[in-house]
Amino acid sequence: MMIESLFDYFNQGYVIQSLVDTGSMILFFIGFFGLLTQRHIIKIFMSISVMEIAVFLFFIGNIFDVKFTAPILGDGHDAFVSMNDPIPHAMILTAIVIGMAVFALGVSFAIEYYKLTGKTNINDISEMGER
Amino acid sequence: MSSIYFVALPLLFGFATPLLKRFGKNGVAYASTAMQAALFLLALNLAATSSWAVEVISINPPLGISFILNGASLFFVLLFMLLMLLFSLYYLGLRKEEPFPDENKFFILLNMLLASSIGLVLSSDIFNIYVFFEIAGISAYILSAYRKTPKALEAGLKYLLTGMVASAFLLFGIALIYIHLGSLNLAVLSGSFHTLPFNMKLLIGLLLFVGFGFKVEIFPLNFWVTDVYEGADPLIDSLFSSIVVKAYLFVFFHILYLFMPASPFAPFLLLAGAVSMLAAEIIALKQTNLKRVFAYSSLGQVGLIFAVLSLESRMAVEAGFFIVFAHSVAKMAIFLSLTSVIHAHKSEEISTLKTLNSPMITVTFIFSMLSLLGIPLFAGFVGKFLALKSFASSGEFLVLGIVLFASLVESIYYFKIAGNLFGKGERGAKLRLAPSQKAVFSILILLLVAVGTMPWLYSGFLHNASAAMVDTATYANLLTGGLK
Repeated sequence: MMIESLFDYFNQGYVIQSLVDTGSMILFFIGFFGLLTQRHIIKIFMSISVMEIAVFLFFIGNIFDVKFTAPILGDGHDAFVSMNDPIPHAMILTAIVIGMAVFALGVSFAIEYYKLTGKTNINDISEMGER
Repeated sequence: MSSIYFVALPLLFGFATPLLKRFGKNGVAYASTAMQAALFLLALNLAATSSWAVEVISINPPLGISFILNGASLFFVLLFMLLMLLFSLYYLGLRKEEPFPDENKFFILLNMLLASSIGLVLSSDIFNIYVFFEIAGISAYILSAYRKTPKALEAGLKYLLTGMVASAFLLFGIALIYIHLGSLNLAVLSGSFHTLPFNMKLLIGLLLFVGFGFKVEIFPLNFWVTDVYEGADPLIDSLFSSIVVKAYLFVFFHILYLFMPASPFAPFLLLAGAVSMLAAEIIALKQTNLKRVFAYSSLGQVGLIFAVLSLESRMAVEAGFFIVFAHSVAKMAIFLSLTSVIHAHKSEEISTLKTLNSPMITVTFIFSMLSLLGIPLFAGFVGKFLALKSFASSGEFLVLGIVLFASLVESIYYFKIAGNLFGKGERGAKLRLAPSQKAVFSILILLLVAVGTMPWLYSGFLHNASAAMVDTATYANLLTGGLK
């Protein structure tokens, strides 16, 4: 009984909404904190990825409505009413792919750089600079 | 069906490369240059005929993707195609002596950069802008790390890190826009953006400013730029300075004009531009690395363009476009000649110029620097004059003063470079240039002089371009009109 009522409570729109909002913002600032404090290059890439994922969650969570269904016709649905908006999902899929590609590229640069110089600390990556 | 070619053909070129490789080792290089020449002719043809055109791709707006070609975007497309064609012609001369490693990849990336820069300019959908933003970014990261030396890789890493942060912030801004306004189409958004509460406008504005600010190299966010310019090959720097930055600048102000005409944040942007210019020119004074000097000079000019465009009047936009043209052409000339100098002398210090023995490159340097300074009879003069005029007519005398002072500072280090060019010393061996390279330098110099001495030939075109840029009502009607 207890658990069912707990589920019912969490299944309310505004509860999910506020959970997603606060959760994704906390995640965003965890990423931002990591970006500012970590000095290992791979950890910095990971921090930025966490920031990006927080944005994805925030976007999807804000558009999503529990009472609505997936935007597919069939199973008694014959018109596009009471359905979730598919555009953000398509956008976020694109953004995830792009983010992953950039992340992989960055890590490959970092590996090449490590092979040549043996450095992974961002503070040491300073061949150039004001002289 | 014409504006889509500018994006589709360079992107498809990548897929055609395996086929083109079969035509010998020159196949890819010549095909790429021929395609760029064809696209340049197409752009010229459009400039002679068209006014406003919407290109809808498969689904009508606001859901589908559409490209809008108007005077302003046409100006940028024409400029990018011209500079890219000249770049390719120069490279055709360079590759006989010192080709890039793995040339086919290089051409694919080059055309990706071109396609995405033009896509940024033409796109009328904010998510598409994000996608092109990323494609331009990825190709630019790889190009800057292309040589795989520690310096180049460091440049690539720095560019990529700032780019990743920028794209996270930009995506956040886009997400907020979609959540609150339910659309991604610039025209629809331009009608509904003012309904947002002020705080939300401020937040979205800040997120977009951080997102684009990294890429348009504006004052608090431009710490990475000079390192990237120094680490990358000078040949690539010419693209960054004259094509990529200009595409981001256009799209930033395009969005600003559409979303917030007469925005309350414009004074801050104006000041950011002016401070950006002043800081860059002062730091440039003590630089001894040639690439770094011109990177700072690029930052300064971009700051000036940023300041002028944030005035939001038609005259100011025309001035901004004149400076965009003059700066792009001059920086292309300077970085291409730097490529020749650095590849021949294997040194990047300013004192290398004392041993330079090439009248053609000396003349190119001097003319480009005079144009950047804004000396009469060169293209830069018209732009700077119009810019100062629009600062004065909108009563921004503080900014006017900063710009004049920064130009003075700028002249000091240009004179230092000129002094090294003409200084007494042992001249090295004569620097050999291929005929196509000589032709490119002559065309670039001719463009600077022709626009400077006969600005009335071009001012009509730029007048239309600037009118189209500030005419946001027509832009909105064109898309929402095509909707019904």
